[in-house]
Amino acid sequence: MKFLGLVLKSARRSGTEASSSTRIVTIRSTSLIFSMPTSHAETIRSTPGVQDLTWANWFGGIYKDPQNFFANIAIEPVSYLRMYPEIVLAPEARAAFVEDRTACIVGEGLARRYGFKLGDKITLKVGIPTYGTEDYDFTVRGVYKSGGAAVDNQSMFFHWKYVDERSLVKGQAGWYVIKVANPDQAAQVSAAIDQKFANSPYETKTDTERAFQSSFVSMFGNLSLLLGSISLAVVITTLFVAGNTMAMSVRERTTEIAVMRTLGFPSSTIFLLVAGEALLMSIIGGVLGVGLARVIVNPNLIQAGAFIPVFGVNNTNAAVGLGLSAFIGLVAGFIPATMASRLKIVDALRRAA
Amino acid sequence: MALIELRDVTKSYTRDAIEIPVLDRVSIAVEAGDFLGLMGPSGSGKSTLLNLLAGIDRPTSGSVRVGDTEISSLPERSLAGWRARHIGFIFQLYNLIPVLTAFENVELPLLLTNLTKAQRRDHVTTALGIVALGDREKHYPRQLSGGQEQRVAIARAIVTDPTLLLADEPTGDLDAKSAAEVLTLLQRLNQEYKKTIVMVTHDPHAAERASHLLHLEKGTLVEQTRVG
Repeated sequence: MKFLGLVLKSARRSGTEASSSTRIVTIRSTSLIFSMPTSHAETIRSTPGVQDLTWANWFGGIYKDPQNFFANIAIEPVSYLRMYPEIVLAPEARAAFVEDRTACIVGEGLARRYGFKLGDKITLKVGIPTYGTEDYDFTVRGVYKSGGAAVDNQSMFFHWKYVDERSLVKGQAGWYVIKVANPDQAAQVSAAIDQKFANSPYETKTDTERAFQSSFVSMFGNLSLLLGSISLAVVITTLFVAGNTMAMSVRERTTEIAVMRTLGFPSSTIFLLVAGEALLMSIIGGVLGVGLARVIVNPNLIQAGAFIPVFGVNNTNAAVGLGLSAFIGLVAGFIPATMASRLKIVDALRRAA
Repeated sequence: MALIELRDVTKSYTRDAIEIPVLDRVSIAVEAGDFLGLMGPSGSGKSTLLNLLAGIDRPTSGSVRVGDTEISSLPERSLAGWRARHIGFIFQLYNLIPVLTAFENVELPLLLTNLTKAQRRDHVTTALGIVALGDREKHYPRQLSGGQEQRVAIARAIVTDPTLLLADEPTGDLDAKSAAEVLTLLQRLNQEYKKTIVMVTHDPHAAERASHLLHLEKGTLVEQTRVG
């Protein structure tokens, strides 16, 4: 289990890497939590190099209980689904979603989690005051599959217009997703967009989709630092525990080691036996830990959602975990192995007598 | 030439900056095929002398020669190899490895040789046969009596056919019957298999089985007698 933290951390990183190189995202320069007018859309669209555009809002609605957290996002349906071909919907579901103003689509993971079916009514309580005070009712018109790592299967999407009608502040977009014609020009296009809104009340910050996902993740706090700190603490603790266990094990077997030395086993062999035991035990622990992590940190079980799409343990994570366990075994075994190999036979036998 | 020769051997330990003399200029010679008993009160230096002969301790001064090898000047790594080839050690508390069966305990010293698995099996079977425990090879030490454990320990000591058998109070933890069996076995190894044995003992009955006796007192040799 000691690898879980590190694995989660690297999994989060791989999530943010699951992004498209042709999509860039514009947010308010101050923070993602502030919105911008939808009038920005035309200005952005007129920027050279921009091929397509859509926008979305983080709704932050609550399904029955605040503990039932999942991403629920207001989108401009046609352009959003065009922008994200990774949202895989049956044609009839897509049509039904686009046509019905109160419709929503849910990821198959989310549908499995809450038992949502086509035609079901979902009521979300307002989580952000700007969306008014009354609950919002939605009808499930489609269950989408994730067709790529950039999209998770734990989110809910619905019409931006439906939300906007009841918002206290109208015509606001949380972020714009822009498709650039040439990925090599993404940096120039981003700079050009931001330049257009410089010195306005709604200055923007345009970056790659990866950077956007990272900033989204950081809304939950400095997750990287948090997970890194936990992982480091766990690894150091494990190191001390493993080292202490091996030292105790050697102390308990002082007589056996002295007997083996008396029989003629060289000190180098004793060193290798003790160090090898520590290494083997640690690797066995590592294999169990990685195996458990692969079962527990499963994309189908973890409802991370919210732009942390790939949240699992891949082969690289597993290799890092095993490498780390081997490292811990070697370090933890070194001092006890040295103690055992330098044991004075006569003193050890006298203690046993 | 004697098989074992100690010349002017002195041994002292330092405890809390105080030097404690254990052996003082001891010189002895043991012929091949002898069964030597080392006697003396506690603290007289008997076990220290045995440890020096086994190469698990080093003299402060003087020399220890076994066969052609001056073991007091051998480096540690060579000494370990020398012990594996030439010394069979029998401990008072048997010191079998508890997680290994009788067979595996006896096989342990053979893992340091180039023998094949089949050859090792032959050697172990022979050794366990000599100590009359051929039917207990799959038993763990906890499943054996004290006397049987010591006989397994003797099998482990003889399995490599060493030059010298060293026994430190081999009957010290046994009842009279088991002790007699172990002593008979040692005597048989000496007389039938011509093994040179050096045995430390407090027990006068055990000492009677030796062919020579050396008496140590306060680290010096006080008497040397021939038995029988």
